[in-house]
Amino acid sequence: MFINEPFIDFTVANNRTRFQSTIHRVAAAIATQSYTAKPIISGREISDGEVFVRTDPSNNSTPVGRVIFASEAHLAAALEDLRKGAPAWNATPLERRAEILTQIGKRMRAKKEELAALMIFEVGKPWKEADADVAEAIDFCDYYAAEALATLSPKKMGELPGEENSYFYQARGICGVIAPWNFPLAIACGMTVAALVTGNAVILKPAEQSSLIAYEFAKIVLEAGVPSSAFAFLPGRGEIVGKGITQSPHIEMICFTGSKAVGLEILAACARVQPGQHTIKKCVTELGGKNAIIVDEDADLDEAVKGILYSAFGFAGQKCSACSRVIAVGDSSEPLLRRLGEAASDLIVGEAQSPDSYLGPVIDEESRARILATIAKGEKSATLLFKGKTPQQGNFVPPTIFKEVRTSDSLWRDEIFGPVIACTSAKNFDEALTLANDSEYALTGGVFSRSPANIERAKREFKVGNLYLNRGCTGAMVYRQPFGGFKMSGIGSKAGGPDYLLQFVEPRTVTENTMRRGFAPEL
Amino acid sequence: MIPVPTSLSTENSLEEEIYTLGNEIFTGIGTQSPSTFDKKYWAALMMEWSMLQPGFKINMFRLVDVLPTLRSSKAVARHVQEYLGNFSTQLPGLGKLGSIVEWGLRGTPGSLRSKVVALGVRQSVSSMASLFIAGESPRKALKPLRSLRAQGLSFTVDLLGEFSVSEREAEIYVDRYLEALEVLGREVPNWTESAPLIPHHPGEQSAVCISVKLTALYSQCGPLNFERSVQVLVDKLSRIARKAKEARALMYVDAEDSASNPIIYETFKRVFGSPEFCTFPYPGIVVQAYAKEARSMLLDLLSFAEKRGAPIAVRLVKGAYWDSETILSLQNQWPSPLFAHKESSDANFEELSRILIDNHRLCLPAFGSHNIRSLAHACRYAESKGLTAKDFELQMLYGMAEPIAKAFSQKGYLVRMYVPLGDMIVGMGYLVRRLLENTSNESFLKHAFYDSQEVKSLLKKPEIHPKDR
Repeated sequence: MFINEPFIDFTVANNRTRFQSTIHRVAAAIATQSYTAKPIISGREISDGEVFVRTDPSNNSTPVGRVIFASEAHLAAALEDLRKGAPAWNATPLERRAEILTQIGKRMRAKKEELAALMIFEVGKPWKEADADVAEAIDFCDYYAAEALATLSPKKMGELPGEENSYFYQARGICGVIAPWNFPLAIACGMTVAALVTGNAVILKPAEQSSLIAYEFAKIVLEAGVPSSAFAFLPGRGEIVGKGITQSPHIEMICFTGSKAVGLEILAACARVQPGQHTIKKCVTELGGKNAIIVDEDADLDEAVKGILYSAFGFAGQKCSACSRVIAVGDSSEPLLRRLGEAASDLIVGEAQSPDSYLGPVIDEESRARILATIAKGEKSATLLFKGKTPQQGNFVPPTIFKEVRTSDSLWRDEIFGPVIACTSAKNFDEALTLANDSEYALTGGVFSRSPANIERAKREFKVGNLYLNRGCTGAMVYRQPFGGFKMSGIGSKAGGPDYLLQFVEPRTVTENTMRRGFAPEL
Repeated sequence: MIPVPTSLSTENSLEEEIYTLGNEIFTGIGTQSPSTFDKKYWAALMMEWSMLQPGFKINMFRLVDVLPTLRSSKAVARHVQEYLGNFSTQLPGLGKLGSIVEWGLRGTPGSLRSKVVALGVRQSVSSMASLFIAGESPRKALKPLRSLRAQGLSFTVDLLGEFSVSEREAEIYVDRYLEALEVLGREVPNWTESAPLIPHHPGEQSAVCISVKLTALYSQCGPLNFERSVQVLVDKLSRIARKAKEARALMYVDAEDSASNPIIYETFKRVFGSPEFCTFPYPGIVVQAYAKEARSMLLDLLSFAEKRGAPIAVRLVKGAYWDSETILSLQNQWPSPLFAHKESSDANFEELSRILIDNHRLCLPAFGSHNIRSLAHACRYAESKGLTAKDFELQMLYGMAEPIAKAFSQKGYLVRMYVPLGDMIVGMGYLVRRLLENTSNESFLKHAFYDSQEVKSLLKKPEIHPKDR
């Protein structure tokens, strides 16, 4: 049975001390400008190109590192190389490919605290979340390696004499992986290693804001034994490198995690057949969510408040699984909202490197401005229950809760990707389910209830990809909670689940008539 | 501070002494009947309950747990149906309550039927709660507390409600403690029953004693917020200790889960090692024998007591969070901080008892257990080291432990009852845990029914389980 990589037990003082000193070490390395992310093509790093400086969102001033952006020419060079190398990688035995994945996981494990510390500075991810991100990345390696071995071996179909049917898989070819900044190691890794273990060559284009951690990952991929002609690392501007990837006639598959808007654009681009394109592009996209938690009249409010706050404000709400809607049933509304507002006011908002920060900054200035504008608009259209305080410096957005939000309000419908909750109430559980399902998204959801009948109903009728009962709605674990949803939350099967790898391969069937001159070997 | 080794012949005669005392206690319990009709009724019910199939039992506890949040009869009836509907044929076996519920589940749900069931269930749960919870507030608990003293038992009062989501709630909790000290400090000393049960016993220098759960006093308490948690808790505990000084009350700080305990112990040491409280009489702290680190925690506390220059008290218990800690460790794939086997906690309890007794000048040993072997061992070992009844005490939970408490108290030992106060909503978690305990196969309720072979095996010396070494 698959066992997840354990999180660091921060209740142990030594673990806290050791992690703290790793953070100091990484901070010192940052101060001496040690981090530069470079495109890697054919195993060679590119040192010239447009330079992007990534700043620590916790203070908006410390330069964490430089990123050399790849150009269209670089993309073209990478593609040429990968087109040559892809067949050999596909032909590499499955066992070898799986072994390399295990090696990638091992290498990440060996430097897990350093990788987590880098994410703390690069994307403002607090201690626990940064550690969990690395653990999830390791999990993807180990899980997909095992799944590949268990499910991708060739099969014989039917047992009739005179006819031999074999069913086997081939890689699609080249997979373009376009990764987000919010799970900058885990998701970049998950999509990449899934594509690799299934025999595809991969171009990894990380988000601009998280290219430094992605670069560390890319180096590990090559060190672990992936041939340099099967993997290219291309940090760059979305509108240049990303666009180039989605429009390339030579890329057979796109794997994308990000916003609905960009995702739908990518799907549209992928549907267009470019001159010279031989294959219909396969697209796997994991998009957004507007995830709701229902609090039933008989819910344990201690648990509900704790669960809602963490689901909504953990990592400043920048998770596609984050809770952004709360539906309180009947009498639970008044005490829930009151306690939610009070509890939110005591949360500690601070820089990501402080162990006591419950939440840190948002990813960049643009996000901050956008979310603040949304909050300002919300203050006119809905009732503010709570708005927190934030440090003066850094990209901080105050944790915010609105109540009595109308379902027609943009606050209720549109993904904000920040620490903002829209609350409403329902007369009964029926209405709560209707309200919860009334969204263009269907990614995660939660219910706090102590009514066995309502819990059963929710299991059947709360239509989301990942439903959580009597706990928060974030923190999906590889294998135990395969992650992904439907409707506008994406197309394609759940990451970290038993069906994910099948998306990266094309099955082939070969049928041989083994009867000659009336004789067949098997009879 | 290492336990003074005893020779084999001393050990053997000690074992004989323990067996004699233990046997006498078992006999004493067998001849006692619970003092009130209520307790007899509930004891019998819990015996029935302990023999139910696990699915039914779990649903009963979940129903009890959710009950105080249900505001209408309709809601109660609906939940009764949802939790117990599949088990209706087994309900009549559960006495009067079972019959009411079974009747309620039959036939169509109407408002009158719902009201009767709701009333019956609420009353039952309320009665059950009052077995284990002495009252909703200090004022309402004065009568049962006084009755305890009249029966020759002392008490320590605990305020239920372990979780504060906000500082507002945490402050309310602090205020409840200050109020409890105010009320008890004003009323209790005036009772004739408050005269010391054992002269010169440090635990009887005041009849007023409270127990405090620290983590409820700070909403952002946690290991990643260690320093600030300790600072805030030092401040709040100091306020309570100040009031305790004023009220001339004794106090204990409870231990909790393993994530919180380092914060709790640090807070305890900072407060009672500070200039303001370094002469506070016998400030109490809990050590949980089910924790693998318990021995080093205890030695650390003893060295703190030495530095402090004035004695502390240590309540030694087995530990109350085994299930949740074990589940958490398994889910997180972390090594468990607790012994996996009950026998190991029992053995550790005895080893730590000896350390406490050998160091009784530094700390007043308080043995918190319902296990007759554990208690008999503590008493006899203490006596073998020349201690008398004024040098240590036994502690038990208010509720069903009365027969054991009385049996030991009649033998001349000081027995202190741990008495929780609180309303139904904050009390439900506590009630469910007590019900779980009292309906388990190891429940001491069955003590009265053991034959001599069973008594012998129950009084056997426990060893650390090989897998826990």
